[in-house]
Amino acid sequence: MYRRWLWPGFAFPGIVWLIILFVVPFYAVVAVAFGTVDPVLLQPVPLWNPLEWNVGWILEVLGRLAPGAEFFGVAVRTIVYVGIALFLSLLIGYPVAYYIARHAGRTKTLLLILLIAPLWINYLMRMLAWVNLLAPDGYVNRFLTFTHVLPEPRDWLGGRASTVILALVYGYIPFMILPLYAALDRIDRSHLEAARDLGASRLSTFFHVTLPLSKTGILGGAVLIALPMFGDYYTPNVVSGAPQTSMIGNQIDFYFHYGGQPTIGAALTVVLAAFLTVLMAYYLWTIHKASQEARTA
Amino acid sequence: MSTASEVQAPARLTAWSRSRGWLTNPWGRPRFLVLFTWAYMIWALVPVLIAVQFSFNDSRSRTVWQGFSTRWYWGDPVDSVWHDPSLRNALVQSLKLATADVLIATPIGVLLAIGLARWTGWGSRPSNFLMLFPLVTPEIVMGVSLLLLFTNVFTFVGTGTPAQILGHVTFSISYVVVIVRGRLFSIGRQYEEAAADLGASPTVALTRVLLPLLTPAIIASAAVVFAISIDDFVISQWLSSGGATDTVPIQIYAATRAAPLPSTNAIATVMMVLTLVSVTAGYLVWRAFTRGERRPERKAAEEAGAALQMG
Amino acid sequence: MTRHPKERLDYLSRRDFLLRTAGAATALSGASGILAACSSETTAETTTGASGEPVGPGGLPLARPDKRVTMPLWEDPIESGLEPERGGTFTVFNYPAYLYKKLLNEFCEKYDVEPQYTPFDNISSGIQRLASGAVTPDVMEMTPDNLSRAVAGELIKPLNLDYIPNLQKNVWPDLVSPFYDVDSHYTVPYTIYATGIAWRTDKVKEDIAAMAQPWDIFWEADAYRGKVGLLSEERETIGMALLRRGILDINTEDTQLIDRAVADLKQLYDVCNIKVDDIQYQAIPEGTSWLHQAWSGDMIAGYIYYLPKGTPATALGFWSPEKGKVPVQNDCWSICATTKKPVLSHLWLNYILDNGVAYSNFVDFNGYQPPLNEIDPSTLVSKGVVPEHLANSVLTNDDLGRDSLQYGTLTARGQQIWQDAYSSFTAAG
Repeated sequence: MYRRWLWPGFAFPGIVWLIILFVVPFYAVVAVAFGTVDPVLLQPVPLWNPLEWNVGWILEVLGRLAPGAEFFGVAVRTIVYVGIALFLSLLIGYPVAYYIARHAGRTKTLLLILLIAPLWINYLMRMLAWVNLLAPDGYVNRFLTFTHVLPEPRDWLGGRASTVILALVYGYIPFMILPLYAALDRIDRSHLEAARDLGASRLSTFFHVTLPLSKTGILGGAVLIALPMFGDYYTPNVVSGAPQTSMIGNQIDFYFHYGGQPTIGAALTVVLAAFLTVLMAYYLWTIHKASQEARTA
Repeated sequence: MSTASEVQAPARLTAWSRSRGWLTNPWGRPRFLVLFTWAYMIWALVPVLIAVQFSFNDSRSRTVWQGFSTRWYWGDPVDSVWHDPSLRNALVQSLKLATADVLIATPIGVLLAIGLARWTGWGSRPSNFLMLFPLVTPEIVMGVSLLLLFTNVFTFVGTGTPAQILGHVTFSISYVVVIVRGRLFSIGRQYEEAAADLGASPTVALTRVLLPLLTPAIIASAAVVFAISIDDFVISQWLSSGGATDTVPIQIYAATRAAPLPSTNAIATVMMVLTLVSVTAGYLVWRAFTRGERRPERKAAEEAGAALQMG
Repeated sequence: MTRHPKERLDYLSRRDFLLRTAGAATALSGASGILAACSSETTAETTTGASGEPVGPGGLPLARPDKRVTMPLWEDPIESGLEPERGGTFTVFNYPAYLYKKLLNEFCEKYDVEPQYTPFDNISSGIQRLASGAVTPDVMEMTPDNLSRAVAGELIKPLNLDYIPNLQKNVWPDLVSPFYDVDSHYTVPYTIYATGIAWRTDKVKEDIAAMAQPWDIFWEADAYRGKVGLLSEERETIGMALLRRGILDINTEDTQLIDRAVADLKQLYDVCNIKVDDIQYQAIPEGTSWLHQAWSGDMIAGYIYYLPKGTPATALGFWSPEKGKVPVQNDCWSICATTKKPVLSHLWLNYILDNGVAYSNFVDFNGYQPPLNEIDPSTLVSKGVVPEHLANSVLTNDDLGRDSLQYGTLTARGQQIWQDAYSSFTAAG
């Protein structure tokens, strides 16, 4: 009924927009990272022709990421923080998602609303809330000293890794729980009933049926929060402010806003994006394998 | 359906998943889960409520309660949200960006959603892929790329409000597409085909049949775009050209790092209320428009679909 | 089990997605082969001039207190006698709390323009944002060590001093034509300050001034973990570590010395969880920081403006090294090349050098001394402007002489060395 060009025509404005303002900027980053530098102000001189590309800055950044060099510690620290935050998010998020998906019953709608609420509360406001609570005379310290868990107020905001990791968990966990919930919610009751019919205990059902079936949800949630977490720089700045808890995003921020060498910032961004693409490709490959298994099963 | 193979299915259990399973189900009854879930909800939401509470604090402290007062909203002649020019400007700027974002991103996104859902020819798959990419790109990568674009390529734009609007629209389009497309799938082609059978032209089928059916999704996505635009920090900060183009999240960030006053809590509360109102309104409109479609078997499928979209 | 139609379609699109990504990933990995064939360079420009002496950015000589340098004019200054522009906005680019906004508002009201204040976190960040085109202000606060870069990069405009009679009239004679900008081609002075240490006398038990090497307090501050800070300025932070070792050449480009300074600074992570920021003027009075590297105006500003009720003024302490070992400097104002209101910008420079305006900026808000003849340093304490226990924050003309220690322009290579060293410190790698 419709003309053939109608649908591509509809999609055209959006696609053009995304190409100009999403694809071209990526190319701009690459062109700057492979470009040269104006010697006076150390401002970037992008090189658009791939044949002219100068790999010096990329190699410089890769050199700094090598063990023992300047960025190695930050990179390792970022991976460690993200890894621990992911693990904790999963640990805390999975039971919550599981309960809401499978057992909530009448309170399900209310719990879903409460679950989705943090997504719509500004990330920085949630961090601000914790900065207030963790202040030397904030509620956390007051409660802990009152109950004598701590002998004296602890300095939570003085550059501690634990504070940064907990802040990351707090900030990103809602984005983990929703995919988990969606995956768990879609598991057909009949699968579980069948397992029980065959004599499996509740625990066994969980391990052998629920957990594997929710694997895509776990991976989806993990990817959904790991990717932005790797680029996070505001969380350490807000709850810590000390160099020893800085993440790789802080370095990119530094080179663009303070360091006066945007080319290094661009090169670092390219390396980070490449690293994340590898992670992303791994996730997609796993999904692909899982879907293939599911189809042959 | 082979139940035996389902039960045997994948399970290569590591000690890790085993111990985690134990943790989540030690007594085989959901009581632990209930407590755990509510404890999580409290942990997730109470800090924000406390921050809101302290925005009404009568003193400069954000940690010691000294009485109720609205001075940080409009009372204090120097530092309140109403009187402090930097806070007020930030509020105005946030609303400006969000409104522009909704007005630009929603039409583009709706068209893109319809186009991608129906297009099956060459180019549809790369386009689909391209549309999904902004959803998984870390914001700092987008911020860097847009900053370099506007200062090295499209230098006539530069940084500032136009750049911020362009940046916001770029990441918002994908959200609109995902929401509208979900709705398109649940509608299916049946209504347009019925209209065609009854003699409607393609234009009529689109405007009189499809678009009204899409209205709840359009409004919901507008509400979502408004909310994510207001809450955006990274893109706004990277494309900001200084004082006048700072948005509320940027102000909150700067104040939290230096020395926040309860006025920071106040402006954050204002933003939060606006966002929640917007999202709630969108959701209520969606429910109102889809009232007739809400029969039991559809409801389950729709909720799952909606949750998946948001995840 | 049949799938719900919506699930099936979602499933389909995800498979498309993953197939496309796999394709893209393989394409990207193939690109690395091309990269290997490309050129590779990261060096900055040459750093010695024709006579073999080190030169700074743009080939300009390196200014030092005992080596006067005249900045070349890259364009002609505006003509004299023009009328100031009106309407629109007037943007000031400066540190966040370094100018009394009330004075800016009064100036803008007089000329019927709208005031805008764009802050930068530190001077390097400001130069960076100006150079990248991210901001387009009218006037900018400048430091002498960044002047060559700004001039060579054509970021600031030459001045027509006919519009700025207050320079000759009010400013200390030595600074009317300073060593870094002979004949004031580009800048006028703003404030003078020294770099030292600020602390809360009621929280820090040590008598810092009495220590053999007071800078060592940072390395002995484990009792104050999480409450210790350094300035987020690449020159000042590394310079402090050099001074602590007794190295007085704070413009050195010797990589060994700088590397050792950075290694010393990195010890501070474990010692006291060191923080790096520029908010000491507020953090020390409010008690969120107890020990911080600071400028001499910070505690005066803290006393004037940021001290909460109930905290005594004597809680603020400041120390800076003796003459010859203390980094001093004067900040300046300059006009940005991006300005659309050059005449008004000149008038702003004249306005800020007005005795009344500068004095109000100093005692009502800023805390940083302006180098004006009418503001006699010796009477500041007796008049009660500066509290007695902070008398060491006051500077005199003497302090900025030929043998003073000032951060000056570095060669391009030196600039990179210091920047990379500072980045290494803040990366905590």
